Amino acid sequence: VTLERELIDSVGAQHVEALDALNWRVAPGSAPEVAEVIRRARAYKAAVHPFGAGGRPSRIADDRARVHIATRRLDQVLQLDEMSLLVHAQAGLTGLELERILGPRNLSIGDYPPVVLTSSLGGIIAVRTPGKSSARHGFFEDAVVGVSAVLADGRSVHTRIVPRRSTGPDLARALCGSEGTIGFITSAVLRIHVRPESRLVAAYQLPSIDAAINAVYLALREEAAPSGLRIYDAEEARLHYDGLALPAGHALLCAGTAGPTDLATCDRDLITSAVIAEGGAAGDPALAELWWRRLHAGEPTPGPQPTLQVMATPSKLRAVYHAIVDATEALGGVARAHISRFDADGAVMFFTLERDGRIADGEILSAVERAAQAVGGWLLGARAHRLDAYLRALRDALDPDRIMNPGTLA
Amino acid sequence: MQLAMDSERLQRELEAIFGPRRVSLRAVDLETYSRDMWPRLLLGYREGERPATRPHAVVWPEHVREVVAVVKLAREHRIPIVPYGGGSGVCGGAVPLYGGITVDTKRMQQLRAVNGEELLCDVEAGLSGERFERELARRGYTFGHFPSSIYCSTVGGWLATRAAGQLSTKYGKVEDRCAGLTVVTGRGEVIETDGPSRALRGPSWTQLVLGSEGTLGVITSARLRLAPAPQLRVFRGFEVDDVATGVTAIRRVLQKGLRPAVVRLYDELDSLMSSLGRHDVEPERAVVGPTPPVETGALPAWPGPPPEEPDGVVARLIGLAKGKHLRTGAMHAALGQSQLVNRLVGAVAEKITRRGCRLIIGLEGARIRTEVEAALTFHELEAAGARDRGEDPGWAWLRHRYAVSYRMSPMFRDGAFVDTMEVASSWERLMDLYHSVRGAIGRHALVMAHFSHAYADGCSIYFTFAGTADDAAAAERLYDTIWHDGLEATTRVGGTISHHHGVGLLKAPYMAAEHREAMALFEAAKTALDPDGILNPGKLGLVRRRG
Repeated sequence: VTLERELIDSVGAQHVEALDALNWRVAPGSAPEVAEVIRRARAYKAAVHPFGAGGRPSRIADDRARVHIATRRLDQVLQLDEMSLLVHAQAGLTGLELERILGPRNLSIGDYPPVVLTSSLGGIIAVRTPGKSSARHGFFEDAVVGVSAVLADGRSVHTRIVPRRSTGPDLARALCGSEGTIGFITSAVLRIHVRPESRLVAAYQLPSIDAAINAVYLALREEAAPSGLRIYDAEEARLHYDGLALPAGHALLCAGTAGPTDLATCDRDLITSAVIAEGGAAGDPALAELWWRRLHAGEPTPGPQPTLQVMATPSKLRAVYHAIVDATEALGGVARAHISRFDADGAVMFFTLERDGRIADGEILSAVERAAQAVGGWLLGARAHRLDAYLRALRDALDPDRIMNPGTLA
Repeated sequence: MQLAMDSERLQRELEAIFGPRRVSLRAVDLETYSRDMWPRLLLGYREGERPATRPHAVVWPEHVREVVAVVKLAREHRIPIVPYGGGSGVCGGAVPLYGGITVDTKRMQQLRAVNGEELLCDVEAGLSGERFERELARRGYTFGHFPSSIYCSTVGGWLATRAAGQLSTKYGKVEDRCAGLTVVTGRGEVIETDGPSRALRGPSWTQLVLGSEGTLGVITSARLRLAPAPQLRVFRGFEVDDVATGVTAIRRVLQKGLRPAVVRLYDELDSLMSSLGRHDVEPERAVVGPTPPVETGALPAWPGPPPEEPDGVVARLIGLAKGKHLRTGAMHAALGQSQLVNRLVGAVAEKITRRGCRLIIGLEGARIRTEVEAALTFHELEAAGARDRGEDPGWAWLRHRYAVSYRMSPMFRDGAFVDTMEVASSWERLMDLYHSVRGAIGRHALVMAHFSHAYADGCSIYFTFAGTADDAAAAERLYDTIWHDGLEATTRVGGTISHHHGVGLLKAPYMAAEHREAMALFEAAKTALDPDGILNPGKLGLVRRRG
């Protein structure tokens, strides 16, 4: 009996694809099938690699058998509790697919950045990055009420679905962010929202990036909970808005608010007041409407993908922005950026770095990374290596054969 | 339990770390640290029984390096370590089940930094809740965590149990406001979890250590999220026909995206108790100490009126059971017929009040948004059938909010016992949870409940029960039966056995049913962080290890 034969027995021949002699791609259709695949892989000490909507199985050239488990057939809503605003959805469902199911019921997963819509739920939950937070709802992982997963020994675990608890550690959080190394997430229960009664957007012009950042945190401190915020520096605004000519050094702020009409209006007014306090003024609302359509209605955004994503806490955002701009210019390059994903921990700056009309090379990238880190910024996807020994011990306890996504978080 | 070293050597080695003044092997200290405020232990204590287990030593570290040193010592000799904060836990979490060294964190009590721009602070674990909040208030901030134990609990204790404060609907529980921890693990190493942001890849170690009640590490300090001190407070009382109407009204408010700070719905009996306490009128006499105006929300100098003049819910429970001038025997008679009394009291409560259930709602925060949210909240409540009873009941609740928990003594002094069971579920299961647990407890004890700590997806129910038995042994049996039946009913309908009190010894036997196969994750975390099993052994339903 070979592993391939056992995989076929587990999920059916049409859902097993041999990539080469040691790599198979399988697509289980249920959590029990995932458990069966992992049990059989473990018997062969074969590695198990999950992949979702954004992933591609990569054949790793070594002598270890590997099973790449696709979540694409795990695409069902298992339960929708409209009274508690909870949805139990399988890991392969993308945010967009879930949104299509919730929409006709006047429900939504909420105002999160587009990455949440385009990824599969399993991937969104399994990987912790700051790009998934919302000033209105908070961190996406806070929306995860419970997780179902398969451990390395084939056991299925389901964390209890309650709003809050005080019964030891939050065990779901061992799985969130574990990138498939602790367990294979098969489904999750998420908090969802009633679609807002009103949505408002507004654009503002401010005399500097610093003033725009100050205005945002002034409004957040007044407890505004916007559905979206984005700051553009003048160069980025020119590129994104068809030659919009802001004075050098000025910034464009686009803001969205949502909720009961009175609350959405209140939040918009709080942002407006903060902008005025920082020396800014209301801008052309059409800019904000275009920004929102690009975010949530699929209109294309001009220009190349950002070169660099850098996170900083509220007090460090300004210094990090200027450090990167200065470091780029010192090497003869040009930096432009927009800033979004604001939350209590800070925000993400999306930089595009160019020199001589081309995307910046390694020299500039290395220099700006050092400059950003020197003033307290850090790159998206950074890890805290100081706890690696504990993560290894945790994995050893659950997965002594190291079959669960080996090579990740290592 | 015998240790691997005699007490003289233990004292010598501990004094090498802490000096002679911060180590104690004196009997009076060992007995003091043999228990926390778990009511079951008070039953025997009342009868003069000696504690079944005591620590072998108590130490008071002042620095994380001393915690590291004592954990290394304990690891070397396989001696249990039991972290101890304010000792206000009600589940036996700080009971030294196998003796060992109790580490009292209260001398690590510095508020080391307050960063207003980041809205973060760095605080040591042993700082008392009251002092913490007063220090923050002086600087113009709040942590937003106001448990009824705030006068006798510590920041570390809150974090170790995933505690909740009375304003949790707005500010969240402590786990929602923790940005990172400094922890001494069972390996005797210091780790910093998370920080400067939750953006770092990998599992959240913060969320794994929070709630572990000293079984995974000793929390020595934390980075906690702050909020600006509220500019405005709005409190109001409402009444609803029945519990179900009130529950629906609260759910509608929360799911509209509104975030009141306080939501408390009292069932018929609890509403009756509140009205007997006349908490909706101004007190005629001054309470102990200078008291700031209630509208400021500042902590009172004293939790409530002095114990000699009880007026908390528990004291009123005694009053109800006794009648105005009945002897203690009448209380025992009433509590001994709890099923009958529950039915009678329920009916009487409905007739007396004729107003159904009391609902207290309070909002606080930035002025403009709070005003807007308050108007929307009150409108939504009225649309759901709640009747506005004005501001007085709301302010009265705020004024007396700390009094209740300090009023248990009279009940125990009179030979009965009282305890609280805080469970939670999603909205869909909440009324099932209420009826199931109320029925389960009501077979054995007088029981009442209020709904508080509400979220968009569910709510907690706080049951208060009182019972009596002929002697300590019978009282313990009855107490255990009540908890067994109540928690089993909770698990059966999909609730959680604890919303914010923690597990300790009390709920340890029910952890397997709560988490089922997911306990494997907890056991794995235990193996990773405390491979020798020296940290708070015997708690939270973990498998006993060698320590």
